[in-house]
Amino acid sequence: MAVTVSIPTILRSHTDGAKSVDVSGGTLAEVIDNLDNQHSGLKSRLISNGSLHRFVNVYVNDEDVRFAGGLDASVADGDTVTILPAVAGGSTPAVAGVAGG
Amino acid sequence: MARFDSLRAAVGETPLVGLPRLSPSENARLWAKLEDRNPTGSVKDRPALAMLAAAERDGRLWPGCTVLEPTSGNTGISLAMACRSAGYRLVCVMPENTSVERRQLLTAYGAEIIFSPVAGGSNQAVAVAKQLAAEHPDWVMLYQYGNQANIEAHYRGTGPEILRDLPTVTHFVAGLGTTGTLVGAGRYLREHKPDVQVIAAEPRYGELVYGLRNLDEGFVPELYDPDVLTGRFSVGAIDALRRTRELLEVEGIFAGISTGAVLHAALAVAEKAAGTGEAADVAFIVADGGWKYLSTGAYSDDFYEAAARLDGQLWA
Repeated sequence: MAVTVSIPTILRSHTDGAKSVDVSGGTLAEVIDNLDNQHSGLKSRLISNGSLHRFVNVYVNDEDVRFAGGLDASVADGDTVTILPAVAGGSTPAVAGVAGG
Repeated sequence: MARFDSLRAAVGETPLVGLPRLSPSENARLWAKLEDRNPTGSVKDRPALAMLAAAERDGRLWPGCTVLEPTSGNTGISLAMACRSAGYRLVCVMPENTSVERRQLLTAYGAEIIFSPVAGGSNQAVAVAKQLAAEHPDWVMLYQYGNQANIEAHYRGTGPEILRDLPTVTHFVAGLGTTGTLVGAGRYLREHKPDVQVIAAEPRYGELVYGLRNLDEGFVPELYDPDVLTGRFSVGAIDALRRTRELLEVEGIFAGISTGAVLHAALAVAEKAAGTGEAADVAFIVADGGWKYLSTGAYSDDFYEAAARLDGQLWA
């Protein structure tokens, strides 16, 4: 068992095209560190100055980590971590909107 | 009193109905606020008519004026109704992958549509509208993503109605678009009941919409206030469609697809409360009815075929 990380199209150049990657880790920060060990360069695309990049949204089982501890958010085996670029909606420190207008 | 001077005046005061069959327990209850019962059939009548009224009060609009707005449909439909009767020309900028019914309704109400590219979704519609506004300084862009009247409509309407009808409210769940509903109603609710949880349900689209979106640029609506929200869920087309059908089959409520996403998040928080034995009264927004999405096959086709088709569209 591990955590499954879903990779957005824009970052798949780092994963040889893989749409998802299985890694271990008990927190989001550990998951991202382990992700970067397997696929070098990913971490710097996601994190700047110790926090999630402004226009990257990360969800653990569909719940936005910015409301669940950020990089310290706990993850468990079997969880799904989804990384998405912000579309009509980015985050400072959290959010915003897609569509609906 | 159910008499109004005009259709525009008949906005708001929508029913809040219980969902006895979908609620997880007797103490963890779901309540649907039926915003499809507004003049043009969506929650967007509240901000659209409020923005128009504010511009009229400010003397920015008179017959013959051109109103411009980026919209995925409902705001445009609402503005189109009001603009036609007031004698304004309306130009809507809308992503090209929205349902055919929205285009037909806008056209029927006399609005002109300028399409923006699929990739980027509503981001692109906003960008195109801002460019048009710069090219046509005489056009009046109401700009729902940054117009305080949007927030005010929910702060003065949606929020107070919910608290009045459900004083025991513990959670408020709505879709995340302009952020007007969540920030406006959520702010009112938290000012009066600080413990109320304000939960956003954000549509998660297919890869076509996200495309090769650059991680270095993004768009946060000017109205967004991060301090009002307490949680946010990302809901994909499959879950949204599954809940939309469940709401129809189990409770008889025929809602649009975005409501399915909102219900998915509402059920998640209600089930969490039921699991710990906490009492919860979860109010969520039914943004519109299902009529405008019938052509997508969402209600009648094979489930997975319908979900796969939705994935490439802007369904919320």
